[in-house]
Amino acid sequence: MEKRHFLIVALLLGILLLSTFRTQGQEDPTRLRVVVNLVQLNVAVTDNKGNYVTGLRPSDFVITEDGIPENIANFEEGNGPTTRLVETAEAGKTDVDGSATGQGHARVQDLGSGSSWQDSLETLGSAISGAKVFILFDTSNYMYRGFVFAQDAIANFVRSLESADKVAFYSYSRDLYRAAALTSDRSEVVRGVRTSVAGDDAALYNSLLLTVQDAGQQPGRKVIVVFSNGPDNASMVPPEDVAELAQLAGIPIYMISTQDAQLEPVSTAVFERMSAATGGKAYFAKSWRDEKKAFASIRDDLAHLYSFSYYPNPNPNRGWRAIKVQLAGERLKKYHIRTRNGYRPKPNRFSVGNEAPSAALELVPN
Amino acid sequence: MKSRTLLSTDLPRKGCAKSSFRLPAILAASLFVSWCFAPAAQGTTPSAPLSSEYAEVSPPESMDVAIPGPLRSFLRMAGISQKVSPEEVMPLLARNVFALGYEGPWPKGRRSEFLILLTRYVQQARELTSLAGADGVLHVSSCGDAKPLLKILGYRTRPDCGQRGTFLETADPQRAFLTIDSGFPLVDLEKSLQEGRTFTYPFSTSHVPGPPVEIDWTRKDKRADVLDMLIDDPELARFYWALARMDAETLSALRQLHALKRMVPQAAVLHFYGSHICIRSGRVIVPGGSAAAPAWKDLVGASPDSPGEFIPKLVTKDGGWLAAYFDDLSSIPLSQQSHFTEPARLRRLYEMFRGKDSSDAGVGVFRHDAGLLLLVTRLRWEPNGDPYIPGNIEVWKKIFRQKTDFKVVRDWGRRAEHWDRPSQLLDGLFALARISTDTGPLQAYLMLSELDARRSPEHRLSPQTVALLAGKFPEFSDQYLVFSEFSDLNDASIAAFLQVVTALNGIPKEPLRGNALGTFQASVGLWQILARQGEIPGEGLNDSWQKMIRPFGRIGSPAQLFDAGRAAVNGLLLAATGKPDSSQDKLINLLAGPRQSTPEAQRMHELIANRIRSILDEQRLVSLDTLLALGDGLREATQGNFSGDTLLPLAGELREFEMPQPIFRNSEREQWAAGIYNNRHTELQMRTNLAKIIKSPASPQQVAEARGQLAPFLRDTLVGLNYAYYEPPGAQILHHNPLFVRSHDFAGDTVVGLERLWQAPQLFGAGSPAGGGAHLVGSLADLPYVLATAEQDFLAPRNVQALIWRELVPGLLTNAVVPRWWNVSRNELHAVSLCQQSGEEILAASAQNEELRNKVMNILSDRMLPQRSARVEQVLRSGHSPEVLSQLMPADTFYLAAEYQQRFPQEPNSFGPAGNELASLRQQYPEEVSWERLSRDFGVPHRVLTQSYTRELLNLPPFPVFMGYANRLFAETWDSNNLYWARLADEKGYSPVMLNRLVPELTRRMVEKIFATDFEDWPALLRAARETGEEFRQGKIVALSRNDSSPQP
Repeated sequence: MEKRHFLIVALLLGILLLSTFRTQGQEDPTRLRVVVNLVQLNVAVTDNKGNYVTGLRPSDFVITEDGIPENIANFEEGNGPTTRLVETAEAGKTDVDGSATGQGHARVQDLGSGSSWQDSLETLGSAISGAKVFILFDTSNYMYRGFVFAQDAIANFVRSLESADKVAFYSYSRDLYRAAALTSDRSEVVRGVRTSVAGDDAALYNSLLLTVQDAGQQPGRKVIVVFSNGPDNASMVPPEDVAELAQLAGIPIYMISTQDAQLEPVSTAVFERMSAATGGKAYFAKSWRDEKKAFASIRDDLAHLYSFSYYPNPNPNRGWRAIKVQLAGERLKKYHIRTRNGYRPKPNRFSVGNEAPSAALELVPN
Repeated sequence: MKSRTLLSTDLPRKGCAKSSFRLPAILAASLFVSWCFAPAAQGTTPSAPLSSEYAEVSPPESMDVAIPGPLRSFLRMAGISQKVSPEEVMPLLARNVFALGYEGPWPKGRRSEFLILLTRYVQQARELTSLAGADGVLHVSSCGDAKPLLKILGYRTRPDCGQRGTFLETADPQRAFLTIDSGFPLVDLEKSLQEGRTFTYPFSTSHVPGPPVEIDWTRKDKRADVLDMLIDDPELARFYWALARMDAETLSALRQLHALKRMVPQAAVLHFYGSHICIRSGRVIVPGGSAAAPAWKDLVGASPDSPGEFIPKLVTKDGGWLAAYFDDLSSIPLSQQSHFTEPARLRRLYEMFRGKDSSDAGVGVFRHDAGLLLLVTRLRWEPNGDPYIPGNIEVWKKIFRQKTDFKVVRDWGRRAEHWDRPSQLLDGLFALARISTDTGPLQAYLMLSELDARRSPEHRLSPQTVALLAGKFPEFSDQYLVFSEFSDLNDASIAAFLQVVTALNGIPKEPLRGNALGTFQASVGLWQILARQGEIPGEGLNDSWQKMIRPFGRIGSPAQLFDAGRAAVNGLLLAATGKPDSSQDKLINLLAGPRQSTPEAQRMHELIANRIRSILDEQRLVSLDTLLALGDGLREATQGNFSGDTLLPLAGELREFEMPQPIFRNSEREQWAAGIYNNRHTELQMRTNLAKIIKSPASPQQVAEARGQLAPFLRDTLVGLNYAYYEPPGAQILHHNPLFVRSHDFAGDTVVGLERLWQAPQLFGAGSPAGGGAHLVGSLADLPYVLATAEQDFLAPRNVQALIWRELVPGLLTNAVVPRWWNVSRNELHAVSLCQQSGEEILAASAQNEELRNKVMNILSDRMLPQRSARVEQVLRSGHSPEVLSQLMPADTFYLAAEYQQRFPQEPNSFGPAGNELASLRQQYPEEVSWERLSRDFGVPHRVLTQSYTRELLNLPPFPVFMGYANRLFAETWDSNNLYWARLADEKGYSPVMLNRLVPELTRRMVEKIFATDFEDWPALLRAARETGEEFRQGKIVALSRNDSSPQP
């Protein structure tokens, strides 16, 4: 009976995730409507020293979108279980779990640099439990010298993702190559890593856009991790467009690079700002052989992210919607919050015609 | 090998294949097997002398070449598609060595990274082969065993070998790179070490068929490894590649004549222009057939009957230009050849073509004779044998005297003063065929000739119009595509257009001029779409055209521009619907296609309309309705009827657009994207505040000026409609970069000094992260192709190491996007399918019938190089018709059936049930299944070849790659896709309207599957199409909404 009940709830949740929420004015064909699915946020809370603050509860967070208060629908901390807080997606009917008292028991964890290499990998693996990880590897000429070391690093990274739900591995130079589709079989992913070939031009933002799209079609928590030395000489879309798509889909982008990338200020700027805007982080290791710190940082970050979502309350704004996440109560105000700063809803007057181009035909699996 | 005396034939013929059917089967079979499809080494056959009268043909020597390690790894390192046959490996290796292996001219040029890596890999593979030992298998049963292997591979184990957590990491990056790049199964080795299992991996020497001739012409050490020789000597590699493109009989004859060694220095010429060189029965087959042989003898200085003299002289003479001339004339149908090969004309035209330019025809990456090939392919003739002249000779005398930077044109301009015969113009055109320009008299001739080609004799362009068009050709040539596509547009319409564009060019203020150019061209683009779809009736074309463009003739202010744009939209709707009322939805519904009557077609129509709407949304363009309503309201306001309550919300919509959240500061953009980032147009729009004017008291003049502020918005919406209509499959920029349409630079803002604003747009800003994204600069001419160019790299190849091929893929996507399928009947669709099936039946029958086979090969040889033609004929002769089908393009079988019926109408042309059904269909529905109708509906546009977006089926072989066009001409001559998709749809019982959805998507999937090695790799396209077709046939790809399609088997 319990199983059946769980199934019904899961189905309901699935339907809610797929449902659309339309702003007012949809009867007027000359006016734009927008579609806003569940808005998902990954939030890091740190103290002044950069240590992660854990143990917070849903009621400790205050979320506003363009100043409009929002109700948390789902809440999850690090690799903890998901707490569903909303019975229905309809705006205004939010029902927050009564157990969330607002009296969170915050703990500050000092996760300094003392952890060992093996410890880093193991912790990282558990950190992203249940998440879908999309890895994007730069195989362009810019990576030529560090290609094999970067591969080693990615292979290590994949091995450390034991508890992640699924992993996909893509590579790119001028074009994207989906070397390993999203799978729970790590060896398939490592095989994809080890069969990638060096290419020529670099179209990072084109490829990242396609990766965000792929990830966005997956339910649940998603993360994109990019291994790149930075320069882009072939993309048609600017990083701004990629960042906005990732923000809309609620997908944090982590950029792992080396100090080579820092020789090119454009890449450094994009890596830092785009990852920050999406709630991710950028790391610049000394070299591809020295990626331990980056792994440890990602591990820390993913392990201590609060992941929650909300269905936006009615909002007439069809442009950029600013998201503000604050901590409730004086006691918590000393902590710092890092999450994406907003999103732009996708305009959609024409649901029939809004199907993705790739959906015009579908590939039937064998 | 049995010797056989071969009789030469006097039959006029275009290509080798037309004569090769006289070869005895056994002989050809030997040749074929020895080179074309030999799985491994062949024994050598003693050569015999070859005379002009008697030819004893023996198979060329073929040896196998040892490739260390698995072929798969070698192909990866050599940049060769994994899908090639073993026979293709060495030729393609040779191709890649000379094309990619050296930076700078050899021998001074240094080795490229590609070649360095390939050489290192070969060395590593030899070490591994040695380690594998006699049994050719790498064995690792313990950690200790692994050490020698890992050392060669450049890896080491960490942390300790033999544990569950053991993994491999790089020890020697140079070796490790080769290990990875060549696809060594490192993961399997790693797993074996982790689990303590034995790792085995076959690593023996692979063997592929080697050169069919001795290639050790330049080396004393005859024991040198063939692989090393090719890698070390790009000239030899190129020569080998050139020979590999010749047919077996020709090659064998050349070898026996000891002519090969003499031609090594001409490797480049032979590579570019040698594919049509063909020896049959001891004679070189020359353009024009045996009737032209004396003229060729005179020109070359040796008789075609003496191939051993003729061919070396042909490729040597004049730096290879004579070979180019020979090759281009060989490429065209016999009927066309005969005009150029008249005895008096052949030499004269060649001398004109050769001129005084002593440059080498073999330099560079691509061949240089595109001008000549286009001229001889497309030149039309009067019934009296004179070349066709648009206008008259007097006009062309003036055209040749137009201002130019080319000395040779100036020289010919002086000569032209005395012209009084069409043949003199032909001389001049040949003389200019080597100039590298888009805007010379030859290019004007090709364009104007195409314009006239579709006009009836009584409606030919007048001399005045020809002069006008030619006079403005350098500036507006790409705009003439519309006149080529719509031959009903008369002299007055053309003159009016030229008057308007000249006036638009004269607008002094840059922003206004940019908006005017954009609005005008967008209106023309919309007219073009509606006219193409038959929604503007033929009899109304001139009227609607002139009404649409006329308002743009006097633009002095933004308000006038807005009114002109509005009038153009009204005019379009009036012409298409008979009603002048404008609305965005009506316009979109018209663009989506003609009104449909069946529910299925209506759903498809709605789907396409909504795709257009979704792009307008995602580009965040202001609705046409809003703009028109604001325009009306402001106009009324100038007359004292002010309705602020209505206008204010509308004015608010103009301010809704927001720039994407910036990642860069302005100062950073100036530093990192100087000259690229420019959104002045959008920033001006964002400062527009009509609400302020509406709210505050304003003078009539201020209100009128306010109306002018709508002009940039109207431009963007109209341009956006054009972009949305031509959305390539898989497009992403259109959906994710809201600045894409707005950033179209019509005024040349982005690039200072750009002078070709009326020409096809160019893509700027790619690969500049701070530049705000790629955008187009120039006009809207050729928009489908340029959009596809911008969007192509969002298609993800399915094969590792495969790439999306530039110039080719945009062409394929254009061929899928421009045609629409609203007026195609089920009979027509079925006929296209039957035509391909009937062609296959004819082929199958020809395998058993020599007379039929001769006819078949005569037809097919118009579409094939001699090598391919010989292969096809041989397979047919051996009775393996199913095998030949896998090598033929869908267009080959389609044309075969159509041509057979055309050439032999009196003979039974049904060889099976499909042929019977097709014959019955032709009888019942002659108009529906006529060639003209099928060509119009299932053909592709030939923007370069025929200077038009008219869909048409041209019976041409895949064109090679040319300087200035890359492989765009190749894409234009690839017309198999739509025919094949139509066949698949017919087989599956889909109705023709479903092609609107199927064709772009199947093309997209096909492009993703292309795994090509070189620019002209048509077999890769064929493989990709067939793989896609198989998926479709197996039901792996289905239309999403089967309800939409209602298949009717």
